[in-house]
Amino acid sequence: MNINLNIWRQTKESTAGKFVRYRLENIDPNISFLEMLDILNNKLIKEKQEPVVFDHDCREGICGSCGFMINGQPHGPQKATTVCQLHMRAFQNEDELTLEPFRAASFPVIKDLSVDRRSFDRIILSGGYVDINTGEAPEANLIKVPKTNADEAFLSAACIGCGACVAACKNSSAMLFTSSKISHLSLLPQGKKEAKERVLKMVATMDDEGFGSCTNTGACSAECPKEISQANIVRLNKELIKSVID
Amino acid sequence: MKIFKALNTSVGKKIAMAITGLSLALFMVFHLIGNLNLFLGPEAFNGYVLKLKKLGFLIRIAEAGLLSFVLIHVYSGIVLWLKNKRAISKTPSYSITSTPRASRYTLLTGSFVFIFLVMHWSTFWYKFNFSKGNKTYYEIVLGPEVGFGNIYYTLFYIIAIGLLGYHLKHGFDSAGQTLAIKGTKYEKTYYSLAAVFWFWIPFGFISIPVYFGIILRLLG
Repeated sequence: MNINLNIWRQTKESTAGKFVRYRLENIDPNISFLEMLDILNNKLIKEKQEPVVFDHDCREGICGSCGFMINGQPHGPQKATTVCQLHMRAFQNEDELTLEPFRAASFPVIKDLSVDRRSFDRIILSGGYVDINTGEAPEANLIKVPKTNADEAFLSAACIGCGACVAACKNSSAMLFTSSKISHLSLLPQGKKEAKERVLKMVATMDDEGFGSCTNTGACSAECPKEISQANIVRLNKELIKSVID
Repeated sequence: MKIFKALNTSVGKKIAMAITGLSLALFMVFHLIGNLNLFLGPEAFNGYVLKLKKLGFLIRIAEAGLLSFVLIHVYSGIVLWLKNKRAISKTPSYSITSTPRASRYTLLTGSFVFIFLVMHWSTFWYKFNFSKGNKTYYEIVLGPEVGFGNIYYTLFYIIAIGLLGYHLKHGFDSAGQTLAIKGTKYEKTYYSLAAVFWFWIPFGFISIPVYFGIILRLLG
């Protein structure tokens, strides 16, 4: 298959970027999207041009490194799929694809499609510690966790922190990310002790990092490759209310 | 104080917006019940206004409370809007993500409603309280000066209340999530009630200018 690409090229945050058009011919539809970009980069290097910078690591959809916009959708058109797990067969021959970095004031562009998402790390850091026993693995049955809580906490912990939620949001809000991190800890007994301070600190850091606020439209969940649900945002709101009332 | 810390965050401001917004919507119910007295004729309406006047300073306290709720709601809304504007990238994105219109235009519809409120206070409220003259309350509301005898004022009133309904459509939807009602056993009741608030209550308000300002005028 042949593919036409419009890729955002920007050398650093302070310089202006622009779209550059590339064409790839005879692409195997069964290769992954990132492999297609690898082929493009090999070609660019051979032609002594700058390769396109994009983030990736595990290419298994679990590390959260990859992610950019394909035709206006974070991680592309396939539901519940990171861009590394996306294959060229999801597209048609001669498709026009526009690739852009995740755009948000809190995600400055490093180069091309790669953005600095350390603001997410700082939100996590402000959450403080969790009471864990750092000795031997404790007996699993000592702390009893209801099955429903364990399942819910697992679903929240499935967030890979890729930033697709911020890119999908009209306000560049990090509420889905922050709320999933707050949720998976507050649902478990190990995370309960610091729950009240944690929610206040993490939300304050989220604000300080310059993310927008939530207008509860649900665009984030719709685009999330891990299908993190709006229930997490509800839980964050509840945790914040609880932190004041109790 | 934890409460100030919480109110300082964006989520805290949203909670403040939700509580003040829902309270003001609840007030609309009582306001509408009063307004509907117009359909019962001049005695019923004038009698109703006089009954309220007899409450004296209690009414002033309620008014001050309502005004402060409006101001908190407006202040939080503007602060959050400015924050959101700063948060988005300066480079616009090619995007196909479409968010509900009611959510994108909340500030715009809200601003229009606020302009309407200021006009509403400077006309009906001011005249009722300070410059009634020898007219009855019924005559002021339906009169040609600031009331539904004036076609421009009538149309402005209808548009403003319509936009208020649209404003509440997103408001109720959003507040359900902000106040963590979604996902609880109250969710269904809440969202059924929301439709009453964003559709039927504004519909009730609009029925008055439509009947007195338009239908009666057309009938001569």
